[in-house]
Amino acid sequence: MNEFEDIKALEEEAKKLIESAKESSELDAIDTKFLGRKGELTLQLRKIGSLEPEKRKDFGAAVNAAKNMLAGQLADFKRRFAEKEKELRLKKETLDVTVPGRFYVPGTPHVLMETFDDIKKIFIGLGYEIFDSPEVEEYKYNFAALNYPEEHPAIDEQMSFYIDKEHLLRTHTTAYQHRVMLGRKPPMKVCTTGKCYRVDAVDATHGHTFHQVDCFAIDKGITFSDLKGTLLHFAKSMLGQHVETRFRPDFFPFVEPGAEVAVTCTICGGKGCNVCKGSGWLELGGAGMIHPNILRGAGIDPEVYSGFAFGFGIERIHMLLHNVNDLRMFMDNDLRFLRQR
Amino acid sequence: MKLSVNHLKNYVDINIPVKELADKLTMTGLEVEEIKDAPKAFFTAQGGAGVADDTIFDVKVTPNRGDWLSLIGVAREVAPICGTEVKIPAAEVKGPGAPTSDSVKITVTDSDLCKRYVGVAVRNVKIGPSPDWMKDVLVAAGMRPINNIVDITNYVMLELGQPLHAFDMDLIDGKEVIVRVAKDGEKIKTLDGEDRELTSQNLVIADSHKPVAVAGVMGGFDSEIGDNVKNVLIESANFDAVSVRRTSKRLGLSTEASFRYERGVDVNIAGLAAARAAELMAEYAGGEVACEAIDVYPNKVEPIVINARVARINGMLGTDFGGEEMAKYLESLDIKTTVKGDMLECVIPTFRVDIVKEIDLVEEVGRMFGYDNLEPTLPASSSGGKDTAAGVLRDKIRRILVSSALQEVLTHSLVSSKIAELTDMTDTMLKIKNPMNEDLDVMRSSIMPNLMGIAARNQALGINDVFVFETGKVYWDKPDKGIGENLSAAGLMLGNMWNNGWGINTSAADADFFMCKGLTENLFADLGIKNVKYIAAKAPAYHPTRCAAIYVGDVKLGVVGEVAPDTCRFFDVSGRPCAFELDFDAIRSVTPEIIRHSELSRYPGSYRHIAVVAEEKYKVGEILAAINAVNEELVESVKFIDIYRGVPIESGKKSVTFAFVFRSLKGTLKDEEVNAALENIKAELVKRFDCTFRG
Repeated sequence: MNEFEDIKALEEEAKKLIESAKESSELDAIDTKFLGRKGELTLQLRKIGSLEPEKRKDFGAAVNAAKNMLAGQLADFKRRFAEKEKELRLKKETLDVTVPGRFYVPGTPHVLMETFDDIKKIFIGLGYEIFDSPEVEEYKYNFAALNYPEEHPAIDEQMSFYIDKEHLLRTHTTAYQHRVMLGRKPPMKVCTTGKCYRVDAVDATHGHTFHQVDCFAIDKGITFSDLKGTLLHFAKSMLGQHVETRFRPDFFPFVEPGAEVAVTCTICGGKGCNVCKGSGWLELGGAGMIHPNILRGAGIDPEVYSGFAFGFGIERIHMLLHNVNDLRMFMDNDLRFLRQR
Repeated sequence: MKLSVNHLKNYVDINIPVKELADKLTMTGLEVEEIKDAPKAFFTAQGGAGVADDTIFDVKVTPNRGDWLSLIGVAREVAPICGTEVKIPAAEVKGPGAPTSDSVKITVTDSDLCKRYVGVAVRNVKIGPSPDWMKDVLVAAGMRPINNIVDITNYVMLELGQPLHAFDMDLIDGKEVIVRVAKDGEKIKTLDGEDRELTSQNLVIADSHKPVAVAGVMGGFDSEIGDNVKNVLIESANFDAVSVRRTSKRLGLSTEASFRYERGVDVNIAGLAAARAAELMAEYAGGEVACEAIDVYPNKVEPIVINARVARINGMLGTDFGGEEMAKYLESLDIKTTVKGDMLECVIPTFRVDIVKEIDLVEEVGRMFGYDNLEPTLPASSSGGKDTAAGVLRDKIRRILVSSALQEVLTHSLVSSKIAELTDMTDTMLKIKNPMNEDLDVMRSSIMPNLMGIAARNQALGINDVFVFETGKVYWDKPDKGIGENLSAAGLMLGNMWNNGWGINTSAADADFFMCKGLTENLFADLGIKNVKYIAAKAPAYHPTRCAAIYVGDVKLGVVGEVAPDTCRFFDVSGRPCAFELDFDAIRSVTPEIIRHSELSRYPGSYRHIAVVAEEKYKVGEILAAINAVNEELVESVKFIDIYRGVPIESGKKSVTFAFVFRSLKGTLKDEEVNAALENIKAELVKRFDCTFRG
């Protein structure tokens, strides 16, 4: 057997071993056995010195060719093995993806605060400036400055919590009107929100504490039609584009003409149901043109300026939106309720 | 007010279905709150025994429209809707009896408080039940039939809106009726059998020596119409609204009469009402009506005339009506209107006590045209809307706390003074003068106790992990500063926020002081507030040795701490809740308006640990502050890692580990530079704390 045949034989042997290998560690062993620094093929090159000079070049080339060929085959097999082993490993890592996930319980905004946020956004968008006004209010701002005659039955509708001779807990956010008007000159568009209080036994639709939003606009040429347009825009933005508004005369000492505003029943879409007592409308709140007495009282000439004002309950709006029938839910703070989305 | 629709038809023709009428009345301002079938058992006269075909309207009368508290008042709104006429009953005092003045003398001492007093004598009446149809009308209105005389006074009140009273004329001492203010301490037993003490604030009807009725509120027990009454004096008077209201409030006595007087009664209906009642008493009680009434009416009230500008009415409504069209609307309400160029001259009938100015006519035109027919427009002017600075900060804090896994809640400001005691706020709490009950007698001084209430309620529901916050007002009444209120932010952490993280929810992850503190640190960092100090402090309702006051310089931002065991017991909360409460004004005063960002180094950092072994008396915060005080320029950050006590650290000492990152903007740091900087810091620490270093 000549030295070229030896190479051939080694090459054949290696090929067989590679083809019968079961895992990548066997390939590593084959690599070492034939191609390592002391591998069988590598060692063949040592023979070169003992060969006739004319054979040396061919022999060297033959050994290198065999080495390259083997190396290529090994790499090929290694790749295949690695792929298979990866597949195997990934398979072992299989998760039951139906097991419920885990994360900390997130916080959410309180539903009423969210409604506040939405309302504020709409009115800021319409150019209203938010004004923060005290809840512990002076009697005069809550009633007298709002054109409530002294000793008038209209005051009976707003049974108050008293603090002292001058102070009470505001019975409506409208109490801010005079405070705002005194501090600035028209034109003005203002909005306030917050807690109000009335002596009222607590049940599903009443409470001693409730939340209101109140807005007014004063400028030259403001009309009742502007009031209607503003509230229509609000109702559609807040409750949906399909919603319409209905205005009917009502009495509040601080507005003339005065109106009660209703919106399309959000439960039945205006067809008539139990919630709207068959009328198709749900009451939203009170509105009207600011009474000239109020403007005059604040040093604004009612012959030059006119304005509208409106206010309504936040709970009411939230109830319209989300079909909540019990006011108490909002401040009971049962976490199961608050996390409902 | 409840009324029978059939009865209403006596005063106006109704030519549209009942439901449509109700809707249209509602849309003109007289809200029909409820439409009900008449209670059949009572309606004998209208359709045979037990059969009735009638509807009851329950109308909501706004406080400005006293005139609607009568059938003719409602008829006046129906008439323009149906295009028909109002039919007002006619009546006269025409005998055959002797003049009223033969039996009684009437004196009014204060014509401001009693603008008019009509008295009519009806003699020789026979007391008995009133006719069925009249009982039906009263029952439909929710009133109880009593006898023919009393029922007739109530019937006429329902019909015309004029409260009437019938006296047993023979029980009037001295044959004299005096309308006067009561003497302080004067007593009267009212019809309901109650003894009542009067003051000079109350107007009474008196005979020669005692009050016989509280004017406009209730008659006296002693001059009541009894079964043996023979001669009746009908009182049809107009009492001052405010005076009646004060008396009614003071006596805690609201009647059909006082309700109407408070809302305004037409002074010019008193004569007709007295005559109408007298006629009915002649017909249904066999009485003999006097040939002449006594009518004390010194200052006759004439209809007022209001001049209204067409342009003004259009300007308020956003309409373009001509004067004639406006006149048509006003005339339909019995307001005589003459168009004079661009002006309307309007004669306001005296029953419309609510119309006193031009602006009131704007509403009348608007409501007769129909509010719903007005075009919706938006105000022409535009302006920039904005929130308040406090509102912006509040929203930012709410956002941060929500994203810190706290659930936002909303609680009552009206709370119990027992809670204020718990938080040691009794000196400054804002008290309610007329609380509904003792559990709602003050305004909250702090939000934290309310959050404990929520923890208790939810624990009772089986929810043991409670992570909540609220931003809202707190209130005070301070001896030096007076009454005030301010925004506050409070949070409470109790239990394990990973309660739906299976495999994670070990007790090691339970909320504790440091989690609560960490949350506030993140909040301040997010707001750009720097140099926040936490100083051990005692705060009411908090654990005495696990509580810190939070400061920036001299400004106290609030407190953070574990809730005191006593507080937990008070609220019946189990576990170890931790809480914080922060003052908005304080936070605002230290919050930068603009948060500036700084350039970052592009070079790699060098990382070092040191373990400082020092005596226990030195607090971690002090050591950290000392490190920061060195102000070593190459230090990018220092982080507290842990505290170790035990072997090999000698007792009375602890080992505190800090991790440093060194970095420079100028280039990669060499080991020698980092080591020099670290040695510098160590040297300072040795000087301050006499410490050694481990490892």
